[in-house]
Amino acid sequence: MDPTLIKLALGGLAVLGCIGIFFGIGLALAAYKFAVEANPKVEEVLEVLAGAQ
Amino acid sequence: MKINRRKYFTSSALILLCLFFLTGCGQEHRFIKKTAFKDTNSIVITFAGPVDESWAKDISKYTVYEKPDPDIKLKISQVGLSPDKRTVTLLFKEDLNQDQPHMLTISEITSEGRSLGSAFVSVKKLYLGYLFSILIGAMIINNFVFTKYLGLCVFFGTSQKKSTAIGMGITFTIVMVFSAMMAWFLYQFVLKPYRLDFLQIVVFIGLVSLSVQAVDTILRKVNPMLFKAFGLYLVLVIANCIIIAVPLTLAANEYNGLESLMLAFGAGAGFLIALFLMSSVRERLELASVPRTYRGLPIAFVVAGLFALAFLGFSGMSIF
Repeated sequence: MDPTLIKLALGGLAVLGCIGIFFGIGLALAAYKFAVEANPKVEEVLEVLAGAQ
Repeated sequence: MKINRRKYFTSSALILLCLFFLTGCGQEHRFIKKTAFKDTNSIVITFAGPVDESWAKDISKYTVYEKPDPDIKLKISQVGLSPDKRTVTLLFKEDLNQDQPHMLTISEITSEGRSLGSAFVSVKKLYLGYLFSILIGAMIINNFVFTKYLGLCVFFGTSQKKSTAIGMGITFTIVMVFSAMMAWFLYQFVLKPYRLDFLQIVVFIGLVSLSVQAVDTILRKVNPMLFKAFGLYLVLVIANCIIIAVPLTLAANEYNGLESLMLAFGAGAGFLIALFLMSSVRERLELASVPRTYRGLPIAFVVAGLFALAFLGFSGMSIF
């Protein structure tokens, strides 16, 4: 195997992994910061109600 | 009061950033003041000081090509020098395609016997005009729905009512601008330097879903009313192909930040226009006596075809 190709592949894995982790943490933080308290009863009631969809 | 001051600070920082972007597209060589197209077949170069006539008249000192095709050198037929020796006019054998930026290499600039090195500059049409032409191009001339047939599922799904159509169009534009800016940044500063541009589709799909999720999360908290109105469409946006076509277009054309912003905004506005036109017609169609076999989706396809024909009239137009 050509060492430059291996380097490219490993670099790509590292870079894409970093991007993924970065944005994942960003989204998690956003979800934490902008969390909306949902009333658990809403879901329970919806569960009991009849609904095709 | 404190919050106000912070707002001022943020906005002034943003303005500074914009100015930085704008000045970033200036000239690359200190001795060359301006380059511009003139008429249909010439380029005018303005120097900061007088240049030597024997140097300036030498055709071999200039090489010009269109930015996408560096191999095809354009043939210069004549070089003209103005009496004050500050302006050089290059006359070409054939007309120039002024929609493309041209790259101009000037070797060994000589001014009053001194050599000032070589310069590599680009010749573009007026930058604001260029941006505007990208915007109008994406919005009307190359409308993504009517000339490229992209995003048809959402187009037919949400064009039954005017209010739905406008809501979808606005949500779409916001997400599009957001994801296109991120795509531009990642493409130029991460994918290209690491030579990973063959992975662009994978990365862009991730980016689109990321931006949809982010807008969803933030909108839910910040403006629940708006979320109630537009939240439903956000889910539809993920599976849309226009939103992935825009990052791919901007990567293929090597657009810079402002140009990508214009492209994304134009594509969003174009989609909004398409949805609005279509929904107006479909609202009228509800009242018309359409033959039974054509009712609903079939007549909508016929109408979309007619719109596409009408938009064909814009094709090949160029602005500025």
